[in-house]
Amino acid sequence: MAITTAPHAIIGTPQRPFRRGVGNAILGGVCGGLAIRLGVRERTVRVIFSLLALISGLGLLLYMLLWLTLPRSGEGHVIAQRILGKRRELHRTLLGFIVVLASMIILFRLGIPSFGIYTWPVLLSAAGIVGVWRGSSPDERRHLEDLVKSAPLIRVPPSKSRKNFWLRVLLGSVFIFVGLRSLSHIHGVWGGATPQLFGTLIVIVGVLILLAPWWLETLSELSGERRARVRVEERANVAAHLHDSVLQTLTLIERAAGDETAVVRLARKQERELRQWLFDPNQEDSGAATSTYSSLLHNIENEIESDYGVKVELVIVGDCDASDAVLALIAAGREAAINAARWSGAGSLSIFAEVETNNITLFVRDQGQGFDVDAVPSDRRGIALSIRQRMNQHGGTVSIKSIIGAGSEVQLALPRSS
Amino acid sequence: MSQPRVFLVDDHELIRSGIRSELTGSVDIIGEADEVDVAIEMILERTPDVVLLDVHMPGGGGIAVLRAVIEKVPAVRFLALSVSDASEDVIGVIRAGARGYVTKNISGPDLLDAIYRVAAGDAVFSPRLAGFVLDAFSLEGKILEAGDVDPELDQLTPRERQVLRLIARGYSYRDIGSELTISSKTVESHVSSVLRKLQLSNRHQLTNWVSERHLY
Repeated sequence: MAITTAPHAIIGTPQRPFRRGVGNAILGGVCGGLAIRLGVRERTVRVIFSLLALISGLGLLLYMLLWLTLPRSGEGHVIAQRILGKRRELHRTLLGFIVVLASMIILFRLGIPSFGIYTWPVLLSAAGIVGVWRGSSPDERRHLEDLVKSAPLIRVPPSKSRKNFWLRVLLGSVFIFVGLRSLSHIHGVWGGATPQLFGTLIVIVGVLILLAPWWLETLSELSGERRARVRVEERANVAAHLHDSVLQTLTLIERAAGDETAVVRLARKQERELRQWLFDPNQEDSGAATSTYSSLLHNIENEIESDYGVKVELVIVGDCDASDAVLALIAAGREAAINAARWSGAGSLSIFAEVETNNITLFVRDQGQGFDVDAVPSDRRGIALSIRQRMNQHGGTVSIKSIIGAGSEVQLALPRSS
Repeated sequence: MSQPRVFLVDDHELIRSGIRSELTGSVDIIGEADEVDVAIEMILERTPDVVLLDVHMPGGGGIAVLRAVIEKVPAVRFLALSVSDASEDVIGVIRAGARGYVTKNISGPDLLDAIYRVAAGDAVFSPRLAGFVLDAFSLEGKILEAGDVDPELDQLTPRERQVLRLIARGYSYRDIGSELTISSKTVESHVSSVLRKLQLSNRHQLTNWVSERHLY
């Protein structure tokens, strides 16, 4: 679909198909493309288009239409298609069009002399430009950006050539002069606010033309410097963190190379820490000051994984503050998790915690060897004291299920006083 | 069931070779790619049953692959694979059309199980994903626009809630079936229905994540 045409017109030899030119484009390549297609000089086509534009604005419209609907040489899609194809682009283009329309209407209302027969072509072309800007291919957009940058008055940085400097000074002065004149005529025939506004506007434009390049340059230098500084700081932070955590751990792993469980434990600990640092930056500095249900559960996860080398799959739904009852629930859950890590023989355990409107639940499950719940002597400290007694004190319930050979689950529930 | 034809997309050679060695013999690995564009082209050409898709890749990430392929060949099923289970990553790929999400530290047998399940058209929910869905569909949660509430899509049934809780507690589908005295096929249909809601619901917890990251 992407068809590339010749870079320049060959006089006397019309060429198919009709594409917008790339090599001989000044603006959108419409004239260049037409010249290639018809086999005439680019300049001839440009003069005809300019004349058409000056006479009625028709040339302008025709140019815009072709720009939007004719594929660029070497590209498969046309700009209009790209805009219509993407909802977001379409919205933005419409928005841009409305802004252009609104500002034109406001200008007319304020009594700025209208453009006469050129009003509508200019208006539509302005909208077309917005469309081109949004819908053009990256390549074409680069071309347009270069074009804007090389326009003599906007160029950044201020060109060193004297001609440009004087042109800018001249144009700026003319604008300021005209604006001041308009301001000084306020008491004349017109009176009122309109010329005042108009004059001010023109003065501002003049000042902008005079000073914009320097201002833009300072601005871009400043923001460039700031960005560089932020980047350096960020880099230093990352380096410091990696040094404290990852490099340390790698050294430890190297030293413990023979001890498989130690290596796994170190790797897990490091993984968890790095993960939290990368994906959960908010929790990083939540120390002892803010202890919520979820942060305390994360502590248990860390503790079990680093002390017992058992992987913990922790899932938390909802959160609440840590009241005394919640602390008791956490302590009971921690005991259950340590039991599972220590005795079940499973390599991983699941903890699921949910905070609902009326109660808080905590499940600790392993798929290890299991045990006979009834055979555990009732005086055994772990389950009896640490789990049952703690929960009962705060009106909670405990249920322990275990199947020999298939694992165990401790279910804890606490009513929530609102 | 014959071996599913699997395609690997990941920009890390180490991860790909690790997965390859774990899966070889159990599934038919028909190709792999380490770039978004190449992946799209090859998947469209070879139409695998299951694509194992890395979420974080340069050039648009796994989502770009998902979008481009699902639009043209909806029959290709995706299982997202990532180091991160950050909720915005999960929700992004699921809403783009992935049938499941697992983290890269998943064990070999579990990954294999997940692939077979996705190939059979079922959904794969990790405990973390189940917990996330419970959170996003919590009863107190608000809905984006009151007029747009669709009870079919924006609420979970009590049974679906039960199933999700059990997944979050670390139960396998079979365990869930025996716990609730239903067949594991029924469990699977509940999970698939939750997946559909997750993909189509307008709940603001879901749409927020997506719009914040400019995924749509």
